Amino acid sequence: MRAHDWFIEHRPDFVAGALEPGDEALFRDHLARCADCRAAAETLTADLAWLPLAAAPVAPRPGFAQRVVREVAHPQPRRRPWIWPLATAASLLLALAVWRADAARIAALEEELAASAAALAASEATLVATRDTLQVAFGADRVLQASIELGGMRGGLLILADETTHRWKVVVHGIPAAPADQRYTFWFITGDGMVHGAEVICDERNPAVLMLDMPAGAQLIKGGALTIEPRAGDLSVPRGTELAHLEM
Amino acid sequence: MSEAREDALRTRLAARDERALAELVELASPWLLGLTQSMLQDADEAEEVVLETFRVAWERVPAPEEGPRGLIPWLLRIARHRAIDRLRARKRRSRLGDRLAAAQVTATPAVEPDEAAHPGWHVHAAVHRALTELPDDQRQALRLAYFEGHTHSEIAERLDIPLGTVKTRLRLALGRLRTSLASLKDWVV
Repeated sequence: MRAHDWFIEHRPDFVAGALEPGDEALFRDHLARCADCRAAAETLTADLAWLPLAAAPVAPRPGFAQRVVREVAHPQPRRRPWIWPLATAASLLLALAVWRADAARIAALEEELAASAAALAASEATLVATRDTLQVAFGADRVLQASIELGGMRGGLLILADETTHRWKVVVHGIPAAPADQRYTFWFITGDGMVHGAEVICDERNPAVLMLDMPAGAQLIKGGALTIEPRAGDLSVPRGTELAHLEM
Repeated sequence: MSEAREDALRTRLAARDERALAELVELASPWLLGLTQSMLQDADEAEEVVLETFRVAWERVPAPEEGPRGLIPWLLRIARHRAIDRLRARKRRSRLGDRLAAAQVTATPAVEPDEAAHPGWHVHAAVHRALTELPDDQRQALRLAYFEGHTHSEIAERLDIPLGTVKTRLRLALGRLRTSLASLKDWVV
């Protein structure tokens, strides 16, 4: 069977969403290049356009339509639900302190309150960052992995690619710290060559976990690579030794 | 939806007319909620998906001269993809993604016809009829793939049948539906 025959055979499976994740990504890549398959998939999608109407209608819950219009047409900035309880607690604490006419206590309470607010804010930031990381990890459409043997150690490069948000989570682990005059560097492999991604700082005990957006202006991202570069010198192109090379 | 009504609605949506959004919500919500609830089996999550769908419509609906017609199928497609994303995320988070009971693997049960309350009821009835005309095994493969986001190998494992059989059943089902639903392309909702 010719390579293209595989795509022809699997057109219905792609439209139905039944392809395995790797095959689906392969098919999407192919669609970008093959006008015949693209047209055939679009036609089949159009032929089946009403199939989702197989499900019986469900009456919206009261207020749903108003909620949609309100939230869609007038999106509000994210509320911080802990602000109000915190403010209420602050008021009560301050009132109590005034009642006791204890200025020193007021100051202490205010300090405590400020520290709590800071801790809450920090927790929220951590939560947001963790959620962001997990979203990419769980939402990864592609996972690429390569082993790296360096300095008698065996580590690896792992790329979790989220094709929806166009972000990559890059993990480098199990390799020794770079010598003082060198640095590990992650590169995007693009249609136009290698594009600098980020410096990777890690050692045998501390893996590096990076969340990277796609490089600006790059049209085709083909993969990623890890090199070790001289610390002195520019990073317009890789000049050092390539430790791992992953292409999709 | 008639071509004239769809064009007018898209023009108003592109111009950020909130009344057009409200009109679209009233028209499409029952179908979008029906689809997403049947897929997700969770009313709250289904509402979130429908909300996301209208958000996409509000942000990206093309003006009539900028894209082909088919506003409702476009919304259905977005909602289905979003629902499948959530189903797959559930599966990734925990391999307990079997909240959908095996009993769901049937054609949607016929409901009391109510054309006045739901414009588009006749399309639903025709799709429902086309699905019930499929052999059970083909309908089952189609539902698992198209409405529940399962891959070939997952369906094969779930039904304990060879991978090739899954592919055959699914392709036969799609081929038959393609024929039976072709006449719906120009129906006016």
